[in-house]
Amino acid sequence: MTTGGSTSATSSGPSGAEPGVRPALQPGRTARINRSKYLRRKSTDAIMGGLCTFAAVLGLVFLALILFTLLSKGLRGMSLDLFIHKTMTPGNHGGLANAIVGTLMQVAIGAVIGTPLGIAIGVWLAEIGRNGRLASIVRFVNDILLSAPSVLIGLFVYQVIVKPTGNFSALAGGIALALIAMPVIARTTEDIIRLVPDAYREGSVALGARPSTTILQVVLPAASGGILTGVLLAVARIAGETAPLIVTSLGNLNWNFDLMRATASLPMTIYRYASSPYKEWVDLGWAGALLITFGVLALNIASRVTMYYRARGRRA
Amino acid sequence: MFHVNTRMLLKGARVLAISAVAATTVAGIAAADDITGAGSSFAAPIYTKWAEQSGAQGGAKLNYQSVGSGAGQTQIINRTVDFGASDAAVSADRLEANHLLQFPTCVGAVVIAVNLPGVDGSKLKLTGDIVADMYMGKIRMWNDKRIKAINPGLKLPALAVAPAYRADSSGTTSIFTDYLGKVSPSFKDTVGVGTSVSWKAGVGAPGNAGVAGAVTNTKGALGYVEYAYATENHMQVAMLSNHNGKFVAPSSASFAAAAAGADYTADPNMAVNMNDTAGDGNWPIVGATYVLLPTNPTDTARSASVMKFFDWSFKNGKPAADQLHYIMLPEKVYDMIRSRWSKVESNGKPVYTAAK
Repeated sequence: MTTGGSTSATSSGPSGAEPGVRPALQPGRTARINRSKYLRRKSTDAIMGGLCTFAAVLGLVFLALILFTLLSKGLRGMSLDLFIHKTMTPGNHGGLANAIVGTLMQVAIGAVIGTPLGIAIGVWLAEIGRNGRLASIVRFVNDILLSAPSVLIGLFVYQVIVKPTGNFSALAGGIALALIAMPVIARTTEDIIRLVPDAYREGSVALGARPSTTILQVVLPAASGGILTGVLLAVARIAGETAPLIVTSLGNLNWNFDLMRATASLPMTIYRYASSPYKEWVDLGWAGALLITFGVLALNIASRVTMYYRARGRRA
Repeated sequence: MFHVNTRMLLKGARVLAISAVAATTVAGIAAADDITGAGSSFAAPIYTKWAEQSGAQGGAKLNYQSVGSGAGQTQIINRTVDFGASDAAVSADRLEANHLLQFPTCVGAVVIAVNLPGVDGSKLKLTGDIVADMYMGKIRMWNDKRIKAINPGLKLPALAVAPAYRADSSGTTSIFTDYLGKVSPSFKDTVGVGTSVSWKAGVGAPGNAGVAGAVTNTKGALGYVEYAYATENHMQVAMLSNHNGKFVAPSSASFAAAAAGADYTADPNMAVNMNDTAGDGNWPIVGATYVLLPTNPTDTARSASVMKFFDWSFKNGKPAADQLHYIMLPEKVYDMIRSRWSKVESNGKPVYTAAK
């Protein structure tokens, strides 16, 4: 309360919004008040700053702990066999090769379907729908989709694809992943396109380009680096999804390249293996977790590097 | 500069599209008679073992997913897998409504795995009543006087009892709670009997493997698992008192003794109950595991492959069953199952006929 009062007195200054308070007429008291105010602000600043630093350090400590656990446990199960052999019953020196391939298949389907849809939605929102009523509805729905629990998306795909086709399949898994990637890509695409200066569009129109040409030849290329980053981040996100795959691609102990049949995936295998009592499986589970973490890390680094070269290329 | 990047994006998309098409083409060649089954984790060790052995001899490739008996029933009713597996027998009207044939494949046993540091768990004696009270939260410490009274030779630690149960809808839970309900009326009243019940104490874990994992990782834990999960992981399993009041250790012999008296002809869908049977050497928690097969299959080739796989397993599956401590059914029962397979039809003709 006091803080609010004195702040408004200071900021509103001589206009004197509160006629009852006139500290300026008593110099001694002002100095005292200012000094205590100063000390209070300084201590508040120190405390808040300390808390923030503490929170940051805490976050980093946990990140370091997670990475340390992941490395120490994951390296134990890491071997060349992991990439060569398929998953086996305990005691048979299995690997994760079919799960790795299954994840690549499903993430590829997810990216191939999700990327064009996401980019199209983003472009429409930023360039055509803009601030219209329909655009705000689409944006709202997209945000809901963005925050929907991924298992719900899996159950939706189960009802729409798995049940009618009578098969758990890589295709169903890929479509579930596409539905998760799409809103992420739509969101980043819209945000990035909005960053493209209007002068570009005006210049294009001034040269006689049609709106479609402006979007395809001017706006999209200017935003392509950012859009690519968004796509890579979305791919990184879906590569680690477990819940939607449980009800769509089921998992497979064997090799499978048929898009219409149950297929293994790395996150689901990790989930099954890590909670199992078999030491061999637990080690493989950790190794798989390490593999996925590095895959996602590599994608993130790739997106940073593209951003960097794009930025440098534009400056040059 | 800009154009180069758009082109790169397009090129990337094209590469992805081409590889997707390539993957589909490869698919057509690979899939022929692969079959998918889902359900019971109780039976998963023996089914995956049989699949490995029959696959090595040129049989169909079976992808068995141990998602739990409840999920197995749901998936076969939804016709998303080629067969379902459940240790809880499905009711006659539900089988009929969903056009399902139910048949048992083998018998397994539920054991009480414990994690008691400093105590030889295999020497620990428990009664069904004590186990029921542990799962109701009435016995909270391992040095409880009721446990001490029947274990005079053991130094039981002052450690909290941490029961682990199945978080998913489970046939193992159904067999286990059916047993506890038989020996403890208050368990039947408060917790109930079935594939998922309202546990009063403990933590949930998915699948037999999940419960075994929870017991392995928690000091003072006890959990109920199919015996293969306990032996494969060198877990300590307690002795239990049986119907005749004798303490028995889990073994193929005590399981076989309990399974010996089962009558598979009494129920039209071959459901049997082998819990708490009379006999000095009988293990008290034993159950058959069942397969659910559509009688109106959409894919007849795969349905035939399922029956062919189990036909092979009934003939050649005994060594693996012995190794994993499952009990095979009498030869007469297998013949009965083979003749019942004629109910799986397509256009009025049986999909598969077992060779005599």
